[in-house]
Amino acid sequence: MSEDITKGCDTCLFYNSAQLKKLGVNVDNADHVVALAGNPNTGKSTVFNVLTGLKQHTGNWPGKTVTRAEGGYSYGDKQYKLIDLPGTYSLLSTSEDEEVARNFILFGQPDVTVIVVDASRLERNLNLVLQVLEITDRAVLCLNLMDEARRHGIEIDERTLSKDLGIPVVPTSARNNEGIPKLIQTIQDVASGKIICKPHRIKSLPKAISKAVDKLNTQIRNAYPDLPNSRWVAMRLLDGDQDVMRALTEGEFQSLEYSEQG
Amino acid sequence: MSKDKSKDILEKASSLRWEVGDNFHDKLTEGIYADAANISQRVEIKEGQGDYSFDRKLDRILTSRGFGFPIMFLILSVVLWLTIQGANYPSGMLATLLLENIHPLLKQGVASIGMIWWLDGFLIDGVYLALAWVIAVMLPPMAIFFPLFTLLEDFGYLPRVAFNMDSMFRKSGAHGKQALTMTMGWGCNAAGVVATRIIDSPRERLIAIITNNFSLCNGRWPTQILIATIFIGALVPSGWAGLTSTAAVIGIALLGVVLMFFSSWMLSRTVLKGEVSTFALELPPYRPPRFWKTIYTSLIDRTLIVLWRAMLFAAPAGAVIWLVSNIHVSDGSLANWSIEYLDGFGLLLGLNGVILLAYIVAIPANEIVIPTILMLTVANLNMMGLGAGEGVMFELDSSLETGNILKAGGWTLLTGVNLMLFSLLHNPCSTTIYTIYRETKSWKWTALASIMPLILGFVVTFLVAQFWRLLR
Amino acid sequence: MVNPEIALAIFFCSLAVLFLGHKLKIWSTLFSNREQARKALIEDVLKQLFHVEYSGRSAGLNDMAGALEIVDNKLVEIIESMTLGNLIESSRNIIQLTPAGRDYALKIIRVHRLWEKYLSEKTGIHKSEWHDRAELKEHTLTSEQAEELYQELGSPRYDPLGNPIPTESGELIYTNWKPLSSLNSGTRATILHIEDEPEVIYQRIITKNLHVGSQLRIIESSEHQIEFYCEGNVYKLSPIVASNINVKELKKEDSFEESHVRLTALNNGENANIVGISSECRGVNRRRLLDLGFIKGTPIKIEYPGPMKNPKAYLIKNTLIALRNDQAELILIEKE
Ligand SMILES: Nc1nc2c(ncn2[C@@H]2O[C@H](COP(=O)(O)OP(=O)(O)OP(=O)(O)O)[C@@H](O)[C@H]2O)c(=O)[nH]1
Ligand SMILES: [Mg+2]
Repeated sequence: MSEDITKGCDTCLFYNSAQLKKLGVNVDNADHVVALAGNPNTGKSTVFNVLTGLKQHTGNWPGKTVTRAEGGYSYGDKQYKLIDLPGTYSLLSTSEDEEVARNFILFGQPDVTVIVVDASRLERNLNLVLQVLEITDRAVLCLNLMDEARRHGIEIDERTLSKDLGIPVVPTSARNNEGIPKLIQTIQDVASGKIICKPHRIKSLPKAISKAVDKLNTQIRNAYPDLPNSRWVAMRLLDGDQDVMRALTEGEFQSLEYSEQG
Repeated sequence: MSKDKSKDILEKASSLRWEVGDNFHDKLTEGIYADAANISQRVEIKEGQGDYSFDRKLDRILTSRGFGFPIMFLILSVVLWLTIQGANYPSGMLATLLLENIHPLLKQGVASIGMIWWLDGFLIDGVYLALAWVIAVMLPPMAIFFPLFTLLEDFGYLPRVAFNMDSMFRKSGAHGKQALTMTMGWGCNAAGVVATRIIDSPRERLIAIITNNFSLCNGRWPTQILIATIFIGALVPSGWAGLTSTAAVIGIALLGVVLMFFSSWMLSRTVLKGEVSTFALELPPYRPPRFWKTIYTSLIDRTLIVLWRAMLFAAPAGAVIWLVSNIHVSDGSLANWSIEYLDGFGLLLGLNGVILLAYIVAIPANEIVIPTILMLTVANLNMMGLGAGEGVMFELDSSLETGNILKAGGWTLLTGVNLMLFSLLHNPCSTTIYTIYRETKSWKWTALASIMPLILGFVVTFLVAQFWRLLR
Repeated sequence: MVNPEIALAIFFCSLAVLFLGHKLKIWSTLFSNREQARKALIEDVLKQLFHVEYSGRSAGLNDMAGALEIVDNKLVEIIESMTLGNLIESSRNIIQLTPAGRDYALKIIRVHRLWEKYLSEKTGIHKSEWHDRAELKEHTLTSEQAEELYQELGSPRYDPLGNPIPTESGELIYTNWKPLSSLNSGTRATILHIEDEPEVIYQRIITKNLHVGSQLRIIESSEHQIEFYCEGNVYKLSPIVASNINVKELKKEDSFEESHVRLTALNNGENANIVGISSECRGVNRRRLLDLGFIKGTPIKIEYPGPMKNPKAYLIKNTLIALRNDQAELILIEKE
């Protein structure tokens, strides 16, 4: 990760805002697809509204958004399609209310996944973050609700966090437009490959479990050498995930591989 | 070739699953959380435990045994009272402007161009008046109700309502989050039905969808308010009229809640049998809403969008009303015939033919029930001195005059009470029905959700009417 | 206008007719399927025989008639045709399964237990209904469907009551358990299995809220009553009920956590740490709790008891989560 980016763009704030163009729902030929993932009630829809100029409903309770919404913005010479997803506590569950978000994050193949987290409750939010990082290596952590965290006397060491997770971290307060320019810039840097992420991989697994995962992982990698997240697939198969099993038998993995190469 | 590879992998997974046993998922989650705890310990700098003392103090009151329910009731009453009282004046102004000033102007304008008479009637007396009514009656209450509701929502009060009410939902076999969808339904039933997606058990979600219609939606508040003012407010000295009619409307809304519990209970005991599943609700921290911004956005986004929808439906309905009153078959209009035909059944329910016809015409949008009723009443009585012409909707300046027309049409206190009940208990509007179909993907459940409240409405109004007459 | 008395009378009469028609259940008996019923009976006989053999006894005609609640001559007719079909063989008064019959029986049992597992994992249906529903389902599911179900459920080894599920090739894990009623005072054990037949006794066990996987310690065991401690509560069962609960004795080196109690035992103002989730909590519900952070070692306390004391709001990982008491019952904690 290049140093000048992590330092942020505090001085060019005005410059950045001027470059942002909200496109509303006009996203027919986007260069990059960006998904907004995160726990419920962390401000995903608020971030979405700020970037696209649309008016997704927001509200202070978990589960406000229940369908996925699309919008767009352009920054520099690139157009971005932004997807607002319902909140989800985890990608491991099978509950129906989280299906929309789960399926998009797993199979929608966004170019960048922005994980919006509640800065005042980092630990429980990291549960989802770590899962997303098993799937994709192009992610940005949007540390939202910073004003709330400050109000409640909580501070976050962003640089350590960024180092531990291996992805860029952008503190924001979406409702007050704080940190948005830097978020846009960071998304661009990740999308264009200027920032290369080295995502954290889940470490604290018991021996027996991690052995089983590794065994299956090896076999999957042999069969599908270009699959980017074979370890995750192995975990899901061991957990008996129907969607992943179906994807495997119906040959969807070939298409995943293909698009990765192309 | 790849089929074989996939199969090998699946078999391997299956055998490994046997080896690691049933608790793979537990161990995996524990592992992830252990990593999460490690990281957050390294990066979180807390002053104390994070200071939530204000939240805690407030919550202790809002969820307490003594105050939890009274405060909920009080907030509901205040919101409704502000809506009813606050909407009175702007509603009257809009009505004067749109109906008394602009309507004659339009008529004159059209007359001077020399449009064919039925097109003039169709467009201006049918479509325009329906739109004007919807704007005059719906805009003010919505412009008050939605911002108030959004402020509560942004503050974080709704999850507390769900928390307080859950034990009642549990006893009726429903999910606690149904409290949230129920309150969304007070704005709009279609929105409430979509919101049921937060309920993860399919059985309980269906219950929430089917019973959402028992939340009085914004299309029905105006009917309730007007009829309560005319028939119930008139029972007490005029100083108390406002408060009494507000209380009557709150009573109907609460009756809706009671019936929602009752029908949830019935459903979970019959067609939607099954165990109450789990309920895990996160209570978010309170967040002071941004007052002006919230008011602005809820006005622009919600109010205008809902109003737009209502107008889309009201326009064609206005046209239909005008048509049925002006197409004549032998010696009566279509409207006359249908009213006569429906009258017997209507009287059995303590209503009348006019009301039933109005509800049939108003399936697309509940908002236009009252003007349709007035128009049909006048047309049927041929009280030409009052209305503007057959099939012309109109708004009378005061509820007193409206009351006089209705009473001339044979209305009594019983008719008023039963209309309020029937307005609560009838089929959902067409948008909601379509939304229910989209969400359930089943005609069976859509039909049940549409017909059940109607049958309940028939039964309730029938019983009220018969006992009323028996005891009088 | 109709006279109100007459109108009301007609209304309530038709209501009564509707209700009676529902109570008498005439239609369901009219439309039952003979062929299906016969197949179900054969399969029930096989299953019954298997259970008898599995428990090391042998069955005669009379025992079978009693267990299956059918009249003798019908049973004899069924037994004859099953003997012809090479599913059973009878010598003198003892009926036995042939290898083919045993395979068939195992297949039925597999479907039955898989279906119970399915009901417990994927639906919210109460455990008191699992058995009856599985009894119906076992006769209609094909082997392919059962295989699909097995995959979908993630290759389970045990059904929710602790019974081993036979594999596709008909192998059954050997269960090494003994009835709770056979333990001596002071013994410590883990509940491995709860028997769901006969129904009346199973219902008694359900009301006691005992869970497969719980550890218990016998306080006193006599011919009249078995008294034991389990997850913070003391239970008293009659031997006949206790003999339907099967346990494994803990060895010396196994740890017994006396202090592990249920979350429902937590009082306002007390602090505790989560030590686990009962194995009785399954499927989506278990995953949801785990996702919300109900993980071993996490501190927890009651923040608001709520107006009705159910649900209560718990503070966990700096978040308020409201849970109903029947869920709290399934979370094990250790008070500080
Ligand atoms: N104080 C503060 N509040 C915020 C901020 N961002 C969002 N909010 C508020 O937090 C609440 C939740 O925001 P949403 O955007 O609806 O959250 P979400 O992640 O889309 O939630 P779900 O759709 O339920 O998953 C709303 O009331 C917002 O107004 C912020 O930066 N600061
Ligand atoms: Mg949202």
